[in-house]
Amino acid sequence: MTARLSRPGVLFAVFALVASACGGSATPLSASNVPVSTSSAVPSVAPSSGPATVAPGGPVEIRWYCCLGGGEAPEQKTVEDKVVADFNAANPNIHVTLEVVTYDQANGQLTTEIQSGNGPDIVGPVGIGGANAFHGKWLDLGPLITKNNYDLSGFPSNVVDIYKLDEGQVGIPFAIYPSALFYKKGMFEEAGLKEPPHKYGDQYQMPDGSMVDWNYDTARKVAQLLTVDKNNKDATQAGFDPKKIAQWGLELQRDDLRGMGAYFGPGTLASGDGKTVAIPDAWKAAWKYYYNSIWTDHISLTGPQFESKDINPKDYPFFNGNTAMSENFLWSTYGVADAGDDWDLAAIPTYNGAATAAFNADTFRILKDSKHPDEAFTFLSYLLGDASGALLLAYGGFPARTAAQQAGIDALQAQFTNPIDWQVAVDGIEHADKPNFEDFMPAYNESLGLVGSGGKYLTKWGNTAGLDMDKEIQSLQDEMQKIWDKAP
Amino acid sequence: MASVPVQPLIPPPHLDRRWLRRPSLGKSALARNEARWGLIFLSPWLFGVLAFTLFPMIASLVFSVTNISLAQDEPLRFVGLENFQRMLADPQTWESLGVTFRFAAFNLPIAIVVPFVVALVLNNRYLRGVGMFRTLFFLPYVIPFVSGLLAWQGMLNLETGWVNEFLRIIGIQNPPNWLQDTTLIYPSLAFIGLWGIGAGVIINLAGLKGIPSELYDAARIDGAGSWATLRNVTLPMMSPVIFYSLILGIVDVLQYFLVPLVLYNGTGEPGGSTLFFNLVIYKQAFNFQNFSYGATLAWMLFGITLAITLVVFRTSRRWVYYAGER
Repeated sequence: MTARLSRPGVLFAVFALVASACGGSATPLSASNVPVSTSSAVPSVAPSSGPATVAPGGPVEIRWYCCLGGGEAPEQKTVEDKVVADFNAANPNIHVTLEVVTYDQANGQLTTEIQSGNGPDIVGPVGIGGANAFHGKWLDLGPLITKNNYDLSGFPSNVVDIYKLDEGQVGIPFAIYPSALFYKKGMFEEAGLKEPPHKYGDQYQMPDGSMVDWNYDTARKVAQLLTVDKNNKDATQAGFDPKKIAQWGLELQRDDLRGMGAYFGPGTLASGDGKTVAIPDAWKAAWKYYYNSIWTDHISLTGPQFESKDINPKDYPFFNGNTAMSENFLWSTYGVADAGDDWDLAAIPTYNGAATAAFNADTFRILKDSKHPDEAFTFLSYLLGDASGALLLAYGGFPARTAAQQAGIDALQAQFTNPIDWQVAVDGIEHADKPNFEDFMPAYNESLGLVGSGGKYLTKWGNTAGLDMDKEIQSLQDEMQKIWDKAP
Repeated sequence: MASVPVQPLIPPPHLDRRWLRRPSLGKSALARNEARWGLIFLSPWLFGVLAFTLFPMIASLVFSVTNISLAQDEPLRFVGLENFQRMLADPQTWESLGVTFRFAAFNLPIAIVVPFVVALVLNNRYLRGVGMFRTLFFLPYVIPFVSGLLAWQGMLNLETGWVNEFLRIIGIQNPPNWLQDTTLIYPSLAFIGLWGIGAGVIINLAGLKGIPSELYDAARIDGAGSWATLRNVTLPMMSPVIFYSLILGIVDVLQYFLVPLVLYNGTGEPGGSTLFFNLVIYKQAFNFQNFSYGATLAWMLFGITLAITLVVFRTSRRWVYYAGER
């Protein structure tokens, strides 16, 4: 028997085949930098005060969207659920629903929700960069801060200012992550070197006894002495084999080229007119330093080494215990125990006489389109107030509120057996980069493809020896300018 | 021998002509019941197609003529063919299409020929342990693709990858950087793609098993050698399977997405060689939040896929042989 489809039937079959085949899904991957707390303990959370009776028509529904910047781990969700339940119990006029979306999907889903007019009320915890992906969508909290007499004096003023943007005061500080230089005492001792200074402004004593500024040139020299190959030769010795390195001297923060630049000096890529790309000179110097640290000085891992699960199984080289110094944010304490029990914190080296400790911060924000900003602000105040202790512990966040910082230090120290000089991190707050490296720039999300985490140039520079960095930086600038020129 | 009375082919007077021409089973209670249950069983699929394929397709068509974008605060408005004009003028459209077609030209023949050849080998009557080999070839297919990809990323690592470790052992001291070299990237990606040929092998093997052995016997009696048998018996009889693999292969390669996203975070590295068209769609819609433009690009991909598929369907009359067809 012959079975033939009519012509329209064939067309339909082809259409259906292509349409169904085109329906394949894929899950985008992205690395999260956000710490995951191992603690699931929920301290007693005092609920906000609120009316004791339910308003006619039922409570106001508020949706809390998590997790653009962490908060999805089961033990974190346990705390979040408890925080929400406590709030709902104490506030019969407001009903909060927690919406947990995993980090790798969170950006795309929030985009879809906002675009479809179904956005949540409050979003967080979210970092500065994560929030800038939704620039223009955040509510200016200024009027609500005034209306509710919300006291901002408990926060360092430079941290409050981080959230003062052209959109207004879009956030109130919650968790902060100043930077520090993580280093392994044992490696310094083994190499016969003095440990790096803990106090900003202090000098460093070189092996010959001379006192020098603790700057990036000094750090490079020290790092070369700490970089050792499998034949136990350091990077300054003849016969050193850069292809067989067993221990690296220095790891810069390479999640984001802007962040890497910020350790050399504060800045942004946007010039004053908001349309022209202008790369700060300090950032250019930082990128060249990074490139040379890999390919000339051999004190840092190459791209393939960094990507290798054999050499760098824990994603951040310092965590592997075979890197002597590493610049990183305080959130990296989540994995630093793997580095051993001889690590400590030191001051970030200076560039051109100034030390800049790149700064990360997470908070909760209210969306501009929230239908219930007053109730959302009530919940926000609760998250930043009574619930903050439990949440900071769950997120591994360092309190932005000055009065709570000692408790934060105690909580951090409790995770380690070795005594850490946490004051270095606290001092880093003073050296935070302003403007913040994650500040808004035109075509923010598209621009990140060039300089952000896993971005094009970061990958290329880590993978390719022999590049002309001046040309590379110019190429980056030109490419980004093209993106900005197309931006609406 | 007594003759059997033959019933005349004349309908009884109480039956009209329609009954004879076209039996209308739908009128019987049993048929109606069967149809109802058929629809009930089909309804999840029908709902799925409507809700997750047809409706999103229509929505994306509407998006493509509007200005939906989170990157700007402009109110929603009808923009006509503006997005399509932008797409045609956008160099990235053509660059990414070029990347996609270059890779397709390299990968598609491999993706079709290799499973066929492996199936031929597995179908050899002299091969022992066919079941084991079949399992071994199919096994990688059941491993989550992303996990497999990450394993391959490790195996092709310049410093510590097994491939380069092996090359060093055999004396190649500077092995290539498989995943970062623009000249090696497509062979590397095709190589990774071979990881998932299990399903293709099984389909080809099923096709080979379905070829009647009499045809091979006849060919042998006619004095046909291996090549002639392959060319004149196996290939024609396998042409529907090859056709099926080709159509799916085309759709798959035009949608190539997950590998460059996982391996390169969608950056298009090295040197823009992995900036596939489907990746650009994803990035525009979900990373850069340009929904309308992303939808426009998606429709272009759909149009291209449909056009190529139709052409292949059209040519299939000349090279696909259906044994049951007259």
